[in-house]
Amino acid sequence: MVARLLVGMLFLVGLWGVVAKRNLVKKVFGLSILNSAVVLLFVMEGSRSGTAAPIMDAGVADIVDPVPQALMLTAIVIGVCVTALALGMAFRLHRATGSFDIDTIKERLRHGPF
Amino acid sequence: MVEFILGLVVALAVYSLRSGDLLHGVLALSGLSLLCAMLFFLFEAPDVAITEAAVGAGVSTVVYVWAIKATERKDKAQ
Amino acid sequence: MRRAQAAGPILGALSLMALSALVLWPVVAGDSPWPLAPGDYLEARGQAESGAQNLVSAIYLGYRAYDTLGEAIVLLVAVTGAIGMIASAGDARGGAADTRFGGAARRRTELLDVVTGKLGPVVLVFGVYVMMFGHISPGGGFQGGVVVASGIVFLSLGRRSSHGPRITRAGTLAAVEALSFLVIMLAVGLGLVTGSGFMGNPLPGASPVVSIVVLNALIGLKVGAGISLMCVAMLAEANEPW
Repeated sequence: MVARLLVGMLFLVGLWGVVAKRNLVKKVFGLSILNSAVVLLFVMEGSRSGTAAPIMDAGVADIVDPVPQALMLTAIVIGVCVTALALGMAFRLHRATGSFDIDTIKERLRHGPF
Repeated sequence: MVEFILGLVVALAVYSLRSGDLLHGVLALSGLSLLCAMLFFLFEAPDVAITEAAVGAGVSTVVYVWAIKATERKDKAQ
Repeated sequence: MRRAQAAGPILGALSLMALSALVLWPVVAGDSPWPLAPGDYLEARGQAESGAQNLVSAIYLGYRAYDTLGEAIVLLVAVTGAIGMIASAGDARGGAADTRFGGAARRRTELLDVVTGKLGPVVLVFGVYVMMFGHISPGGGFQGGVVVASGIVFLSLGRRSSHGPRITRAGTLAAVEALSFLVIMLAVGLGLVTGSGFMGNPLPGASPVVSIVVLNALIGLKVGAGISLMCVAMLAEANEPW
């Protein structure tokens, strides 16, 4: 219960980072934290239904649920792809306008190319 | 044990979002990934732990440090 | 006036977080039981049906191979997009000058020499081991692939990307990624020809663990080449003198 509450709080911290921060790189930090929170929640819930790792060596019984682990592998790799693409976009915006701050970027883009 | 490490994870996440130096934030995020990898090991998920350790504390940190190095390092709003 | 202008976004952010907390509350505090049927079925029948002892490998290469196919496509698109955005950002010269940081020659420290020269090959070997033993111990395509990508990033940190070992050059990595994606498509389509259905076992006489080992190697190559191509492109862009 406490662990789930903490993971929910991590999700809210990531959401706050994406929504309320003005620096683009801090927004990407928030995306990364959101990804970590979701992966933690799935693996934690899957681990409650057993006691051993899902490697069927001789004499292993009562394994944890392996399905969320397989799904989260894909999720982690896609998370790093999303981070790299988002940082590439932030890099291009910085090259075009000279700042990471979203209000400054909006002002400079509105006033035409320079 | 799990709750203690999760508390550290939340603290590192808040620090990374509030730091004035972006490089400190990246290092906090890398430490967060390392603690998550340890949590996955405690949750009996060795495959996810290997992937998170290699991705979070390795490739993701390289991408962030490149982005900061190629542009700017200070968060002017903090 | 300033405070009234700043209050709008802050109120918006706070109300969004309050709404999200309200939506998350049943997820976090609810007590609905976790469905046990997939886990029990896999524990009883997974090893016999797929031939692999690592049930996670059996899932993402056997029972849910569509997800892995989708992930391979997403990785291809993301790497293409990232490189397209980075390489067209300005003059994208390939770092052919003598000094690497625009005037001041960089000193090579002992730490960089040890990590790149000595540890890089060790990490590569470990990555290939994790990739190939994915069916009997923790490991597999994704895990080994990202460790191999870390090893290639180590090796490319120590040298200029056009004079280093051939594995760290962008052309080689792009060729490996495209080729392995093509072979993955062929491997999953081969089941249609040999009679075991799309994504079935391509060799009908052999045990199903062969298809898992081959697919692990292919996916590891693809993930490793894709992610390290992205990192090598970023490092080459950061090192050009400007």
